[in-house]
Formats: sequence, structure tokens, C-alpha cells
Amino acid sequence: MTSNVEQSPFFQQQRAKGAIVLKGTVHPQAHKDSSVTDAPPDPPKFDLDSYMSNYDGSTRIDRLHHIGATSTYLAVDAYRMAITEAKKGKDVKLYLALTDDFCKIAPDDPLALIDTAWAEKRNREVKTEMDKLEHELKSYKNNLIKESIRMGNEDLGHFYYATGDYTNAHKAYWRMREHCTSSKHLSDMALRLVYVSIAQKSWLSTQSQLVKVDASQMKGEEKLKLEPIVHACSGLVQMSTNNVRDAATQFLKTSPQYLTLEPAAGIVWQREVISGNDIAVYGGLCALGSMDRSDLQQKVLANGDFRNFLELEPHIRRAITLFCNSKYSACLELLEGYRTDYMLDVYLSKVLLTIYNNIRTKCIVQYFIPFSCVTLDEMAKKFQPTGVGMSIEDELEDMIDSGILDARIDLVDRLLISPPTNPRYTVHTDALAMAEKYDHTLRLRLTRLNMMSAGLAITQDKSQQNKDGLDSRLGGEGGIGASLRGLGSRIGFS
Amino acid sequence: MSSELLNVLFAFQPDDQELQQKREYDSAIRGFVTTVANISPQHFLKGADTPQDVLELLNSEVNSVAYIYALQARILAAGDSPKTPKSIPDHLKPGGTVWNKIERFLETFDPVQIRYVGGEWRKLLEYVERVARAMGTPGVAISPIRSAMLRLDPTTGTFTLTHLHFIRLCMETRSYVAALPILDNYIYSLPSAIPKPVLEQLEYSVPSADHIHSGEYIHLKSGHTEKITVADVQEYYLLGATAYIGLRQFKKAMEFLEHVLIVPSHNLANGLMVEAYKKWVLVSCLATGSVPPTPRTANPQGLKAVRAVSRAYEALVEAFSQTNFFPKLKAQINAGKDTWAEDGNIGLVNELRDHQYRLYISRLSKTFSAIPVSNISSSLGGNVDELTGYLEKLIADGHLNAQIERPSQPDDGVVLRFFLDPTQGPLAKTELQQQKALLEQTQRTNVLAGQVKSADYRLSLTKEYVEHLKRQNKKAASSAAGEAMDTTWDDGVEADEDLMGDMH
Repeated sequence: MTSNVEQSPFFQQQRAKGAIVLKGTVHPQAHKDSSVTDAPPDPPKFDLDSYMSNYDGSTRIDRLHHIGATSTYLAVDAYRMAITEAKKGKDVKLYLALTDDFCKIAPDDPLALIDTAWAEKRNREVKTEMDKLEHELKSYKNNLIKESIRMGNEDLGHFYYATGDYTNAHKAYWRMREHCTSSKHLSDMALRLVYVSIAQKSWLSTQSQLVKVDASQMKGEEKLKLEPIVHACSGLVQMSTNNVRDAATQFLKTSPQYLTLEPAAGIVWQREVISGNDIAVYGGLCALGSMDRSDLQQKVLANGDFRNFLELEPHIRRAITLFCNSKYSACLELLEGYRTDYMLDVYLSKVLLTIYNNIRTKCIVQYFIPFSCVTLDEMAKKFQPTGVGMSIEDELEDMIDSGILDARIDLVDRLLISPPTNPRYTVHTDALAMAEKYDHTLRLRLTRLNMMSAGLAITQDKSQQNKDGLDSRLGGEGGIGASLRGLGSRIGFS
Repeated sequence: MSSELLNVLFAFQPDDQELQQKREYDSAIRGFVTTVANISPQHFLKGADTPQDVLELLNSEVNSVAYIYALQARILAAGDSPKTPKSIPDHLKPGGTVWNKIERFLETFDPVQIRYVGGEWRKLLEYVERVARAMGTPGVAISPIRSAMLRLDPTTGTFTLTHLHFIRLCMETRSYVAALPILDNYIYSLPSAIPKPVLEQLEYSVPSADHIHSGEYIHLKSGHTEKITVADVQEYYLLGATAYIGLRQFKKAMEFLEHVLIVPSHNLANGLMVEAYKKWVLVSCLATGSVPPTPRTANPQGLKAVRAVSRAYEALVEAFSQTNFFPKLKAQINAGKDTWAEDGNIGLVNELRDHQYRLYISRLSKTFSAIPVSNISSSLGGNVDELTGYLEKLIADGHLNAQIERPSQPDDGVVLRFFLDPTQGPLAKTELQQQKALLEQTQRTNVLAGQVKSADYRLSLTKEYVEHLKRQNKKAASSAAGEAMDTTWDDGVEADEDLMGDMH
């Protein structure tokens, strides 16, 4: 069946679009042409049902959709679940899109057929509900009761969100702004906007709304409740915009309260946005990809708060410990084993390659530090046991060229050599170069100053040049005074 | 009559006890110059070409003032603007008796005396140049003019039109090396108008004083140069840069071109700047491997205009900076063939192409410590033997700190091995050399500091500065007074108002 799924028109289209399609073990360098490798399908380590049981709400369908579209192994199951899920909701468009995709994967499956009757019925219901809500809002507006208008807008926002019309949901929530009467209302509105923006995956607006949540004038316990949400969401934003280091800091700041948080603004964040497991994985990987060994030790492993998260994903903890203990190949191997899993994560899949590459280059750099010379074969054995992808020479060459690794390659004796340093010599050379540069700059300035004081400057066209020329000839006595004033003191040498 | 003349001419002896004070020397020589200038040329011509010739009797080193006037008289007699070789009498042709005397004079004159007869000095040099040109051998004028410039001012740091004429001569005859002694000296001063009182009455400011700064005695009124313009200065730097390019000293050429770019302007640029910018872009690539930021002192508006017309060059260097992509540069070079030819930069552009290979190889030294030549040839193309020869040439020319290793067995390929430690290999510098270089730099910087100080001093003599200072003082005085008054007045009013407020 899997081969059928792999060859289905849907995945062929996906490949043609250049999207990542997972079917088995994917080697780091071979990910791009995974469609050509003939490795046997390697199922992800997690169980779809138990993984999905962590999530509720729209993120559930979103994640299922991502898994279905990425993994040929889980496609059928994921789409089935997603379609069942979608049928419970009000988003007809999403349902149609899902069945459309599924039809291309498994045309014989009963769920692949569009349930037209249901769709029409749901469409009608949605239409009536929208009319009802808008009518209500209108009447609230006539009554000029602030609280009612706010709630009317809120209801409309919820409704739009449920139907998958995120733009209008955003607008409706935003219209609540002028009818908010307490800081609680304001922060609730901002949280709602964050929620919508994350669903839209528009990270910039998420970021700006998060700032508003953070700046809301909530006090004491209320504020403490909001903080973990803000940190977790900022971490997600930073990670999705490729700021790995900042993402790591945000995730590490998230307090374990997040796991047991009551719903804020009617949203169960740890189930409807990102789960505690996600924070552990995202935070752990981001930290591993951006921090050095001592930071990892201090800020991650010794971080009491973050330990609560790490306990959820013990293998991340193990990977970090392995890195700190200089067991780089074991660490990489461990992470490699989970690559498929992470590629199926809707947020992580976009940045996973960067993060994995960071970790890999960091491992190589760290590994090389204590040595003055390592044979290339040894490096290959440590970091490329499978021998697939680019050769270790080429990889090292790229790293040296981009300035990540300070070393030289000896292609003759097949060695990686740490270049000898000669600080005294370098300081002398640098000093000389700097002195020459300053010397030259000063000369340029002096030339310019001299020309100004001699009244020489490029001026307007010919006819005026004569006039100006006369002027500047007088310059010695009183023409270009303005530009000359204080030049002596400005050059700062007296 | 003749002896009378000689008495007059020998009247000024620079070593006289009475003339040790610079001011006395100054007034004495001024008087002497006026006297000699008034002697009619006929007197000098008496007994010409005999042992009684004035030129034989006078010592060019001691009686420089008298000697230069005597030479002028001889030149004047032969007509001072010859057009054809025929119109020059034999004794004034290069190799002739008087020509030789002129040459010797220009090498040996007393620089201090010549400071007072700048006009004559300039005329003499112009005549030398004219004769050389008329004879069709401009090259013969280079050496005498150069020695005259260096004799008058060993630093040649004050710009005169002679500088420009000299470099033009050198460019015409392609004698770039001959230009170096002048080009290597930094122009730290431009002839300006120095107020008269400063020149005549101060012990340390008269021309005869021991100046370090030649701008003190070469200025607009001293006669050593005519009025200069922006274009003159720019042309000098541009030609100088071309000379350096001819000698393949690209770094110096780049620095010279920067001098053209930074001229003060009213948000405008001129053709010389465009020319300079185009060359600068190319030369800086050759000197440093990439285009550095333009000098900050340059006028941004003017530079923008210049860049707008130099797009082709910028595209070219962009292709150049992509070191692993040779075909692109070649394509760019071909595409702009006419442009380069029109601008006369085709040589530089070709140089750029050769240089890209060199740069590629020298970048290898940042990645590899040893690499088989066959590896390089597979990425560059070409066969191994040719490449080995090329590499050996690069090493010999000092572009690479590396060595070629030939294998003991013939089947192993030739290997290029770089020296990792900068203190080893053919390009290594010892600590002593470095220290020497640093000391030399310190010295240069100190000299420069002195030059800046004197430029600053000169600026403080200008009328503008004095007026500015006056205004500043006035402002300070008035503002200080105003403040004092204001506060007292304010206090009074406030107190009043408070009182009233309390009452109600």
C-alpha cells in the first residue's frame, strides 16, 4: 500500500513543487533528493493517535494535514483523522481541500468522497449563523452598550475563526479594541489576536501582539499566568523567523506552570497551540543549535524550570548531555534518529535543517578544538559513518571558507591541521596595517583641508565657474569663510 | 665696467657674519635681489663664452641669485620661447655649454637664496622644458627639473605647477620610475596667500628661516608657481596614479586616486573625478581583492553622480569578487569591451582577469595547507604542468607564501604546500623587519602630525578665522551678559506673582 501512496498523484505533485516528502531514513545531505533514494520506509517513532491526543482545536487539523502531506507512511491515517475532525467543525473549505488531497492519495477510501450533502448543509448553517451574529452586533451597536458590542465582536471573531476565515477573525477581534473597559479585556483581546496570527502563521503580527500582552497592565497572579504563554509564543515566533538563539532563550524562560495553566482568553494554550513536549523539543534543539557547552550546562541542564519540560522528552536531554560530554557522534546519531519525527512537526519542519546543520558544524568545531591535527579518515568515521552525501573534505572546506572552522586541510597527507598562531606577529601586522590606514585617511583629510583653505572646489557649470573662480580667488581674503570656520580646531590635532 | 658688475654681484655673501640673523639676511637679500633685477641683460652678456664670462666667475652654489639672473640674460638673448630646433642656438641645446651650466646649476643652487627669486626659478624650469620639447626629446628635461624641485624643497610637499608639468613630461615619455622621487612625497600644502606681515617681520617666518614646511616660502606671492586650479591638482594625482599603475604599485595608485575623489565640491563632480573613480574601482580590486568603501571625506552627492555613470565598472568588479566563477568575469569583460577601450582602461581590465586566478589561488591558502596541483587544475582548467609553472612564478613574484613539492615517485602529483606560520616561508618577515616597519611608520606619522599642525597654524592666520573668532567672542560675551540679566529679572517677577497668589 505504501508504494501506492508514494506513487499517488498527490505526492508526485508535492515533489514537483519542491516540498519535502518523507518516506524513510533521510540522510542529512540527501534530504533534497529523498524521492530518489530507495531506502525502505522508516516509520516515525511516535504513534499518531497518542501524539494527536495532545492537541485540540484547529492546530489538530493543521498538524494532521502537515503530517499527511509530508509522510507517505502516515498519510492515509492522518488524512482520515483530519477529515473526520474537519467534519465536526464549521470550516467547509478546509474539508473540501482535505478530501481533494486525500482523493489523490487513496481514491478508493470511503472518506475520499466529498460528502456534498453535508457540505451544503454546513454552508447553509454557517450562513445563517453569520447573519444572526451580525444582526446581533448591529442591535448592540444601536443600544450603545460597550460591553455588548465588545462581546458581539468577540462572538463574531470566534465564529470566523471556526470557519477558517482568519483575516476576518483578526478584524473582528481588533474591533473589540475601542470597547474594552478593563485591562483584562485588553489582554484577552491581544491573546486572541496572537492566537489568530499563529494560525495564520504571520509571525510579525504575532510578535507585535505579544508585546501588547506583555505590556498590558495586569497585576500579580494574573500577570504570572500570562508570562509562560508570552514566553512560549515568543519562542515559537523567534524559531519560525530563524532566530534560533533568541528562540532558545524564550523557551528556556517558560515556567513549568505552563503545563498546568488554566485557559487564558478561552484558549487552552498547551493543547491548542504548543504542548509542553513541543517546548521541550523546540527549546532543547534551539539551545543545542546556538549555545556553547558552558551555556548548555548552565542554562539548560542546570535549569530547574526547564527540567520539567525536558523530562517529557528524555532523549533531548540525553542529546544535550552527550554534547556536553563531548560524545558528538552519539549525539548526532541520536538526533538523526528523530529527524523524521521532527520533520512531521508543523513548525519545526521549516527550520529543522538549519538547526541540525548548526548542531552538526558545532559538533565538528568542538571536536576539533583540543587537537592540533586530525586525520580526515578519523573525522569521516566520527561524523559520516554512512558515507552518504558530500565527502568530509568538501564539508570541512565549506566550513573553513565560511569562517566557522579555523583550520587547514592537507589533502596530501589527508590531515586537518590547526594553524599555528603567532599573536605577537599578528599584533605587529595589525598595528602596522591600522597605522597605515589612519595615516592615509589623515592625508586625505589634510589634502581636502588644504584645498578648501586655498579656495579650490568644484563648482557649477562654466559660466558660473568663472564667477565662482573669482570668488574663490578672493577666498583667501573672504569668500569661503563659512566652510573654513573652525577647520583648524575640527581636525583636532592642535 | 665688468669689475663694477662683479662687485655688485659679489656684494651678497650668504655666509657673512652679519647675516646670521634671519631678519638681517632677509632684508639684505631682498635689497640684493632688487639691485640685480635692475641690471640690464647687456651687462651680463659681456664677455660671454670667454674666460671672463660671468657664468664662469660666479659660483652657482654661493652666488645663486646672481647666477640665475645671468642665466636668464643668456636665455633672453637667444629668445626665450623657441619653437623649432633651429631657433635654439647650439650652446643652449641639450649638451651645449650653457645647457650644461643650467643643468649643473639646477643641481647645486643654494636653496635658501632661490626662495627669494621664485619667479626666475620657475621661468628657468619652463625654459628647460620648452627647449626639451622643441628638440623633440622631452625626456632630457625630466632629470634637471626633478633635481631643481628637490633642491629647492627636499620634501616637494608644496604643490606647484612645476609638479604638474613634471608629471606630464614623465607620462609623455613613459618614464614612470623617474617620477617616483616626486610622487612618493606627500603633498601636504597648497600654495596659498600668506599675509605680508607674517612674511617679513617675524624672525622665524621670513623665507630664509629654517622651515620644515615648504609652504612657508612657496606660496602665491613667492613666484615659484602660478595660480593653481582644482583641475591642476586633480590632474596631478590622476597622472601620478597612472604612473603607479604603470609600475604596478596598485596600492599607491589607489591612494592617489582617492585624493582626486575627495576634492571639495558643491555637490558636484567633474570629469576627472569620473575618470578617477573608474580607475579606482579597478585598481582597488587589484590592490586589495575587493572594493573598499569610498573615502568618507568625499562629497556624497558628487560621488553619487560619478557612480551613476560608472555602472559598467561596478558590474565588472562584482563579477570579479565571485572568485569561483570565472566565466562571469570573462563575459562581463567581453560585454563591455568598447567601454573599456573608450575609457582607456582595457589594460587594467585585462589585469583584473589575470588577477582573479591569482586571488583564487591565494584564497586556497586560507583553506588548505597542502593541495595537489591536479586538484587546482581540475577546478581552474588547464593542464598540471602549465599550472605548476604559473604557481612557481607566483611564488617567485612574492604573491604566495608557499612552495612546490615534487614527489620522489613520478606517479604522485606535484603538491602546492602553503606555509601556515607567517614567520616561515619565502614571504616571512622577521621580528626585526616588523619593528623597523613600525618605527618607520611612527616617523611618518610624526612628520604628518607636524604638517597638520602647520596647516592648522596657517588657517589660524586667515581673515575668516580671525573674524570667526571675533564673532565667537562677541557672542560669548553677549550671551553671558544676557543670562545674568535675565535671571535677576525673572526672579523679581516670580516673587511678585507668588505674593499676589497668596494674597487672594
